[in-house]
Amino acid sequence: MSRRSYSKHIPDFRLISHYAENGRSHIHGMNAWTKAALLGCVLALAIVLTGMYLLLLLYFLSLVYYVVARLPLKLLIGWYSLPVFFVVTLTLFFLFTEPGKELVSFSLFGTRVVITDAGVLLLAKLMVRALAVVTFSLALIMTTRFQDIGAIASRLLPSPLANMFLLSYRFTFETTDEVSDVLDAMHSRSGNLVRGITRQTRMFAGIFGLGFIHAFERGERIAKAMEARGFSGKFPEYSALARPSAGGYAMVAFGTACFALALYARYFDSSILGGM
Amino acid sequence: MAHVHLEDGAFSLFWVIVWSIAALGLIWIAIYGLGRRGGLTTRKMAIAAMCVAIGFAIFQIEIPIPFVGAVHMNLTPLIGILVGPGLGSLCILIINIFSAAIGHGGWGMIGANTLVNLIEVVMGFYLYRLLRSTFKLGRFPSGFGAATTALVVSAFAVVAIVTVSGIQDSAQSAEGTLGNMLLLAAVNVVAAVIEGVVTGYIISFIGRVRPDLLPDHEHGLGRGDGKSTKEAIPDV
Repeated sequence: MSRRSYSKHIPDFRLISHYAENGRSHIHGMNAWTKAALLGCVLALAIVLTGMYLLLLLYFLSLVYYVVARLPLKLLIGWYSLPVFFVVTLTLFFLFTEPGKELVSFSLFGTRVVITDAGVLLLAKLMVRALAVVTFSLALIMTTRFQDIGAIASRLLPSPLANMFLLSYRFTFETTDEVSDVLDAMHSRSGNLVRGITRQTRMFAGIFGLGFIHAFERGERIAKAMEARGFSGKFPEYSALARPSAGGYAMVAFGTACFALALYARYFDSSILGGM
Repeated sequence: MAHVHLEDGAFSLFWVIVWSIAALGLIWIAIYGLGRRGGLTTRKMAIAAMCVAIGFAIFQIEIPIPFVGAVHMNLTPLIGILVGPGLGSLCILIINIFSAAIGHGGWGMIGANTLVNLIEVVMGFYLYRLLRSTFKLGRFPSGFGAATTALVVSAFAVVAIVTVSGIQDSAQSAEGTLGNMLLLAAVNVVAAVIEGVVTGYIISFIGRVRPDLLPDHEHGLGRGDGKSTKEAIPDV
């Protein structure tokens, strides 16, 4: 369970792990390969689909998947902050410059600013695309146990990357707690984080610098321990992942078929989806 | 945030594939280069993994800045300075995979985001080395200069990548997209300076407490370190 989180809009890995390890929904019981393949399908569909209704349907299905996994919706809304922020910052100026029908216009510093329908639609589409994938992605990591993620990583990534991935994933919790401890100590002694800019940045640099020094020292200790135990360049797999069930294959086949259809409609014949 | 991460759906399938192949190619070169230089030792791997973990933990902290609000830092140039461009490249790929999992940048955008971060890691390392060894600057100005320049260049790299790729469903010409993105880059430059200052202070702090952790070209330049260079981390 999460000890504390210093930012409500950034997913807390410890809380995510808590849900992944202790959840008991149907989605938790689903094969990890099936879930990973479905994420691929959602991602591919989010990129290829262009119709707003179809994108909304994709987002709705991702949300249903998240709800069926009995994951907290309130947290999800907070965690949407970053993707929403990124989409808005990327497309903010397109809102005013995209050619289209005028919706709203106002004067800003003597310049006439116009919001167009095409600008709003562009922002909405990119938002729905991003949120569909983010929702499914969070549902995946909040319903898949570490050993299954480790098994997938060691299969998909080259050995050095897989090793680094598994080690860093494991120690993310430790380092987060460590940095949180230092911040707690600072809170208890000075009460408030907001200081002058110079003092503020020096203070945080000290905390971050200490974090990096501890990371190096921990890395050295871990390396010695691994070598002492005969580490040969590859971690043993925690458990072999079973093959997806027939239902899992069927779902992935359906997702792939939807992607193929969307791809055909996008690049060859848009009338196949009724122009949606 | 010193840089904007691109979310899924911003680019068409073609450009997602193009940027992914380009990033994978560079990561493969990094892995190959590390292999040629004696391999990725257990020590290097463990330290790089810890850097990923601490980088990710630091990213979760909001730094309150008066009149600005709050900023998050990725500290990718610092990772480049500390572990070198080869190992740093692997670090940022893993950070981008973690980030994609929680919605901080898209899965399909791992390629484009990794390319942007690669610029930060590689430029951070080489500029720091240049400023320290050639221009004989102190740790703070070297760290500040290297990180700020790397982040400013990466901000313009985002502009270039988005302009070349175009935003899906946008009817704007390349010139229109470029104009919009340049306004965004101007905002990112301000955030880059803030992250540059923090990086400079961190480098100064590490230089005082554990100077042996700074790159091997640092030895003999700083104040009173005098430790062996054989344990230095950078792989180039």
